[in-house]
Amino acid sequence: MAALVLPAGLLVVLLLVAPMLLLFRISLNRFSPTELMVEATTAQNYLQAVQDPYYQQVLLTTLGIALGCTLVTLVMGFPAAYWLARMESRWKSLATIVTLFPLLVGNVVRAAGWMALLGNEGAINAALIGLGLISAPLPLLYNTGSVVVGIVAVVLPYMILTLAAVIEGIPRQTEEAAANLGGRPMTVFRRVLLPLALPGVMAGCVLVFILCMNTYASAVLLGGPQFKMMAPAVYDQFVRGNNWPFGAALAFILLTVTLVLTVLGSALIGRKYRR
Amino acid sequence: MGSLVLEALVKRYGASTAVERVDLDVRQGEMVALLGPSGCGKTTTLRMVAGFITPSEGRVLIGGRDVTRMPPYARDTGMVFQSYALFPHMSVAQNVAFGLEMRKVGRAERDARVMEALRLVQLDHLADRLPRQLSGGQQQRVALARALVVNPAVFLLDEPLSNLDAKLRGEVRMEIRALQQRLGLTTLIVTHDQEEALTMADRLVVMEKGRVRQVGTAEQLYEDPADPFVAGFVGRCNLLEGRVEAPGRFRTRAGDLLLCQAGGDAGEAILALRPERIALRAGGEGPARLAALTYLGAQTEYHVDFGATRLVVIGATPAAADPLRRLAAGDAVTLVWEASAARLLPAAA
Repeated sequence: MAALVLPAGLLVVLLLVAPMLLLFRISLNRFSPTELMVEATTAQNYLQAVQDPYYQQVLLTTLGIALGCTLVTLVMGFPAAYWLARMESRWKSLATIVTLFPLLVGNVVRAAGWMALLGNEGAINAALIGLGLISAPLPLLYNTGSVVVGIVAVVLPYMILTLAAVIEGIPRQTEEAAANLGGRPMTVFRRVLLPLALPGVMAGCVLVFILCMNTYASAVLLGGPQFKMMAPAVYDQFVRGNNWPFGAALAFILLTVTLVLTVLGSALIGRKYRR
Repeated sequence: MGSLVLEALVKRYGASTAVERVDLDVRQGEMVALLGPSGCGKTTTLRMVAGFITPSEGRVLIGGRDVTRMPPYARDTGMVFQSYALFPHMSVAQNVAFGLEMRKVGRAERDARVMEALRLVQLDHLADRLPRQLSGGQQQRVALARALVVNPAVFLLDEPLSNLDAKLRGEVRMEIRALQQRLGLTTLIVTHDQEEALTMADRLVVMEKGRVRQVGTAEQLYEDPADPFVAGFVGRCNLLEGRVEAPGRFRTRAGDLLLCQAGGDAGEAILALRPERIALRAGGEGPARLAALTYLGAQTEYHVDFGATRLVVIGATPAAADPLRRLAAGDAVTLVWEASAARLLPAAA
């Protein structure tokens, strides 16, 4: 059996672990504007990133957006997942495909679609002005709201499908028993459905949180030039600033924060609900 | 008042009708079984009482109160599910306490009642276990305790024994019946197992294709079935198509003349004759020939060809010295029954 895992294992080492180690090594190098990357072993890049108020703000924005989007996605995804999981008719497979459908469109194309919808000349503003409801276009694009909308639209299918898989495993009779014993719908949800669906909630939130932390296209296209998240910041360092060591350090900070929060969050929720 | 009344209850799904005008009156403290083959509407009826399915027509009254449009949590029924449906993340005690919590029963009283209910089903020593750590029979008893602890106005059992092995089933059947009688619970039980229904319930409702075929005690259904379906479903029965030729004379479709009850109109009918009401004797001048016999231990089942008509006869296995013991296929036999045992039923509707 172990031999069967070997090819996949080698692939992971080769394509994931090795580049990461390389990246980590780069993050310890020094940057000079004339020589670009200079061989060194210094924590200078990390210290600089952590102390710079600009990057503190970028990290905070990224965290806020990721947490907010995860929460919004969970709240929006749970009812949809429940509906999908409890569906019995022949439309179920169709509904699953429709849920997956947005994933067929790339992030950039989708973000462009939101721009066409939310922009000053976009469909919504054009319609509102056409109807005479407003005289000047509403600032719908290039703010936190438009980024959240764009990200949630990307990650929602992941949340729904993860939750639905777990909810499907919870027998309907368990909920019926709770209702039969006098539990109102909200109580049944809180005392029976949610605790039993918790593995799915955790898996869905971890997945979505990681996706949100690494948002690129939605942040760049829907956030505008003033809006900065970590992934675009890393890109900027590598491509625009040619500062590979600092970009690598930012990438590792993003990775570490994501990892630590994911593990902490899972442990915390797990402890709260485990008997 | 703990009585349960169903008034002209109908459930339709699109063009198909799952339950067709069911009327039923379950008295306080009575146990009534809904009996029928799968798909006969018995479970749908039970779920309409619990409130999981909304009737298309008709009313459900619990203790004189119309609950037809009420959600399940407001109905005060205690249901035991076929799968038990215990809460897997709660201990046995927490499972049983759930209904009391929903009723805002105080902590001290709640603990006392939970332990009392668990003692009732002899599980008080397992109060802190999780459901998955219990055997099937124990889980079933937790489900019973969980439904009983709230003193429901109506106790609902959905095939409660179908997931137990045969030996346990007999025991639990007795336990449930004893509990139900001791606590005076108004009970509706759904089962496809006629033995379960006959041994547990005060009255039985035989259903088929969404309709009630007959309501009565086990004895009434067995001795005086209303139609061939009931005769065939409750106990075994020889059901022969044919016509009444003269009072007390029945001509089977195959052409053989049989003795039947007097009274009954001439014309098409079905003769219902219980296998154990026929006495079998060795030898005879008549046309009856033994076709096959099956030794079942205490009883022996004989298949007898009476002319072109096949009859099943069940009798106590004869003693070793009895000439019946030496019968073999092909031997001539004589069949004897009381005319009153051969009942005339209306030809299939």
